[in-house]
Amino acid sequence: MPVIVLASPKGGVGKSTCAVLLATQFARMGAEVTVLDCDPNKSLTRWSRRSTPPNVNVHSDVGRSEIVSLIKKSDGDGRIVIVDLEGIASQLVSRAVSQADLVIVPMQATALDAEIGSEALALVQEEEEALSRTIKHAVVLTKTSAAVKSRVQRELEEQLVESGIDLIQPSLVSRAAFSEIFSYGHDLTVMAADPEMRTGGNITAALANAEQFTEAVYERLK
Amino acid sequence: MSGSNRLAGLKSKPKPAAAEDIRKVDDVGESRGFIDRTPRKKPGRKPSPRTMQLHPKVMPEIGEGIVAEAEGLGMTQGQFIEHMWRAYKDDA
Repeated sequence: MPVIVLASPKGGVGKSTCAVLLATQFARMGAEVTVLDCDPNKSLTRWSRRSTPPNVNVHSDVGRSEIVSLIKKSDGDGRIVIVDLEGIASQLVSRAVSQADLVIVPMQATALDAEIGSEALALVQEEEEALSRTIKHAVVLTKTSAAVKSRVQRELEEQLVESGIDLIQPSLVSRAAFSEIFSYGHDLTVMAADPEMRTGGNITAALANAEQFTEAVYERLK
Repeated sequence: MSGSNRLAGLKSKPKPAAAEDIRKVDDVGESRGFIDRTPRKKPGRKPSPRTMQLHPKVMPEIGEGIVAEAEGLGMTQGQFIEHMWRAYKDDA
């Protein structure tokens, strides 16, 4: 089954959020999901310490020397591997990208995120040439407004599409539940069903957004 | 969005992972600034492994006496101390 790598040399763009949403949604679809947490901030490890769906397995502290072998070991029929990378330009990132079926580059709708995120896209394209194989890659805009699409977001989307970059729709909206899942654990459905759970936002809307995002990713894996 | 049968269509695909392939990937990455950023270990000499060797502090004249006696017997100070330890245990 596929290996999905979340990559951007910039920190705070939503790589870990994308990773946890994809892991939990694919787990709901019945997949055995292996998450490789390569981020020194250990967001996915912290999330998993709260609780995880039974078919999600998180490996922590994955470094440059073991990333390729661990992806190989985890990759198999019935499993999806999700790699959450550190937000810097490192050899760990380039090695993980080489083993990907799909590289997702999350970026916020800002010029800075786009500029730094484009480094990851360029890396993927150069690795494709070096390895003589196609590595699917796509951008997802994150932390977008639920209410209105900003001018900057509209312009960035146009630029990406004009450059031939695959843009995942829908974008991931800025939702309190996406942040709170890290302190709650498990998945959005469990959060939504918990009468004790109080978030600053709409969990149902967050869940719908996560489902649509995962569906769009699934379409790219076929 | 449910149904594991949908996922059954997703198959694992082989990816190049030989040492030569990884070297190519490293070269491509390094040319774009994706370099090895593995945290370095603490600099300096690593602590020696424990050998259980004794480093007794004694008065200077006793130390000199031990050195002279060990040299006279053609043994190390450690071996001489082992002799003394056996003699002590035999007396006890």
